[in-house]
Amino acid sequence: MTRVKTMKVLLIEDDLIEVMKLKRSISKLDMDVTLVEAKNGEEALDLLKDSQSLPDLIFLDLNMPKINGIEFLKILKSDDVLRYLPTVILTTSSNRKDVLECYKVGVAGYILKPLKYDEYLDKIQKTLLYWSVNELIKI
Amino acid sequence: MKGIVFTELLDLVEEKFGLGMVDTIIENSELESGGVYTAVGTYSFAEMLSLLKSLSAATGISIDDLLEVYAEHFFSVVEVSYPGFLAQYNDPIEMLASIENHIHVEVRKIYPDAELPTFDIEEKTDKSLTMLYTSSRAMYSFGRGLMNKTFEHFNSSATIIMEKLKEDGTEVRFIITKND
Amino acid sequence: MTKLSVEILERALKRERAARKQAERILEQKARELYTLTQELQFSNKELEHMVWEKTSELKGVFENIIDAFVVMDLSGKVLKMNDAAIDLLGYTIANEPINLIDIVHPDEKQGIIDAFKLLYVNGSVANYQVKVITKEGKTRLVDINASIIYDEKDKPVAAQGIVRDITEFKCLENQKEILLKKLEKSNDELQEYAHVVSHDLKSPLRSIYALVDWIKEDNEGQFNEETLHNFSLIDITLEKMEQLISDVLDYSSVTSENVSAAEVDLNIVFKDIYQILYLPDHIKLSCIKNLPSIKGNRSRLQQLFQNLISNAIRYCDKEEGLIDLDYKDQGEFYQFSIQDNGIGIAPEHHEKIFKIFQSLHQNKESTGVGLSIVKKIVESYQGEIWLESALGEGTTFYFTLKKEL
Repeated sequence: MTRVKTMKVLLIEDDLIEVMKLKRSISKLDMDVTLVEAKNGEEALDLLKDSQSLPDLIFLDLNMPKINGIEFLKILKSDDVLRYLPTVILTTSSNRKDVLECYKVGVAGYILKPLKYDEYLDKIQKTLLYWSVNELIKI
Repeated sequence: MKGIVFTELLDLVEEKFGLGMVDTIIENSELESGGVYTAVGTYSFAEMLSLLKSLSAATGISIDDLLEVYAEHFFSVVEVSYPGFLAQYNDPIEMLASIENHIHVEVRKIYPDAELPTFDIEEKTDKSLTMLYTSSRAMYSFGRGLMNKTFEHFNSSATIIMEKLKEDGTEVRFIITKND
Repeated sequence: MTKLSVEILERALKRERAARKQAERILEQKARELYTLTQELQFSNKELEHMVWEKTSELKGVFENIIDAFVVMDLSGKVLKMNDAAIDLLGYTIANEPINLIDIVHPDEKQGIIDAFKLLYVNGSVANYQVKVITKEGKTRLVDINASIIYDEKDKPVAAQGIVRDITEFKCLENQKEILLKKLEKSNDELQEYAHVVSHDLKSPLRSIYALVDWIKEDNEGQFNEETLHNFSLIDITLEKMEQLISDVLDYSSVTSENVSAAEVDLNIVFKDIYQILYLPDHIKLSCIKNLPSIKGNRSRLQQLFQNLISNAIRYCDKEEGLIDLDYKDQGEFYQFSIQDNGIGIAPEHHEKIFKIFQSLHQNKESTGVGLSIVKKIVESYQGEIWLESALGEGTTFYFTLKKEL
């Protein structure tokens, strides 16, 4: 079995505890994952300016101050380079309108955060494992 | 029976055999009316039968033949009285075929209480017509006379065969074939 | 002349005379009959005349009293007759000033009315033709015209008649209604959006608390006593209930009639799905009395409706052998469904209350008091009604109607 390679994940989330949750989840996994954090869309766009250190996967919260999740997604999708970054929505909103809009703009996934931490852990693990075995576009 | 049938008969008798014959048959018949007829009145059919019997006895001519001759005379009455009626037709077969559904219907409009025979069409072509005559009066010969005149009216002629379906002549089949 | 022929002639003469008298009598009789007949005809003629007069005055009454304006005009549009309503509407009285309909039409619509006249002439009638007219006072009114051609006895068009309805106010109200409806729609959308945001904002802290509690337990494993551990589990349960409550409220606010999409839904399939989704304890028998119909609507809403009622029936079963029966009746425009259970029953004083939001009769982990209010809202979105019959300790039957096609 090939060893899972190192993954770099960007989490865009303004809630401190949510960031902690993901961090803690990653630490529990037997995977080589580097987590980069951004509190909001602007911060994330700043980080993404450096084309040398782009993440392999983005977890994006929909409800953020300033630029909201969908606006941020649209910016990514209109960028020649950033549009290839798989972006997975991580949210508690099951609003059908949001789900539709996200898939329309182009997301790699839409994950509903469950109440129970166990279930959350399980979902995160599966998602990271899935993306770690995917071929990604590097420009 | 309509008075005109009596007055026309007596006129014809007077014309052919003289007033004496008219007197004779009236005197020899038992007539409720006493032989007094007017065209607008209505009289019992029995009187007609009685008159015909007396006439047949006095002249030696069969009732059937008498009726046929009388019918031919009667047709001219129709020709004179209802010329427009005949003008509706241009073919004798068509006219005869319409007796039941048209002619009798019109007759009833003028004489609501008229007692008419029925003529049911059994078969019809351009040249021929088979009809079934039904009447308690058994005056089929009268019918035949009218038919002969009808053809004559349209400058045509026909061979008319009668088959008595009942001995008393109340049901008779007319097989009419137009002569070329 | 012989004696015999004289006698014959005398007899003939006598007969002729008698016949003449008879004919005269008959003709006299006929003349009398004719006279009577003429009398009768005259009488019925009078009656007919009277009937015609009655009809005419009836029509006149209709013409004068009809609420809508009524005008009769010649084929060029010149008004020949108008009732009081028409005079009120247009302000003109033809007795004083002859008017032509085409002349009083708003200048912008001149061509339109000429075309409408042509159409009227060709088709024999024009329905709901809307046009602006200018009254004598110079006011513009929007009117709706229904007109037809009047023919003479030879089928020749001679005039036209029209009912003219002032729809100025109506149109105005209609526009207002449309604006209001749009506003309502928008505010509904906003509310919906708001409900989603609120629910998200309320749910997020719950997740945080849940995670934090989990971490405290994890990081201090073996250091808490039984009681503390029990309290931790109570926090979990409370959070779960809170989560469910938020979901239910969101759900409730999402049921609007706009969600009803018009797809054919086979309720047998819905029932089968519910049967698989719901946890059905061994001692409860859930059955469908007969084959269910199909209904036009939103599948997930219909499922929610049946599921909520059935899961209630399961939840409140206290018998050794629980029975839940689903049945329906065709009522023409509607279907009437019934879900009968032999559970604990509901006291009469609660029959109304249970359909109100947050009104749960039982302190139950799974019950948030929203389920039945969602059920009611769904039923109402299908223009139906819901009610129940129940006896405490014996069971409950919920009845509801759904319109077959909205």
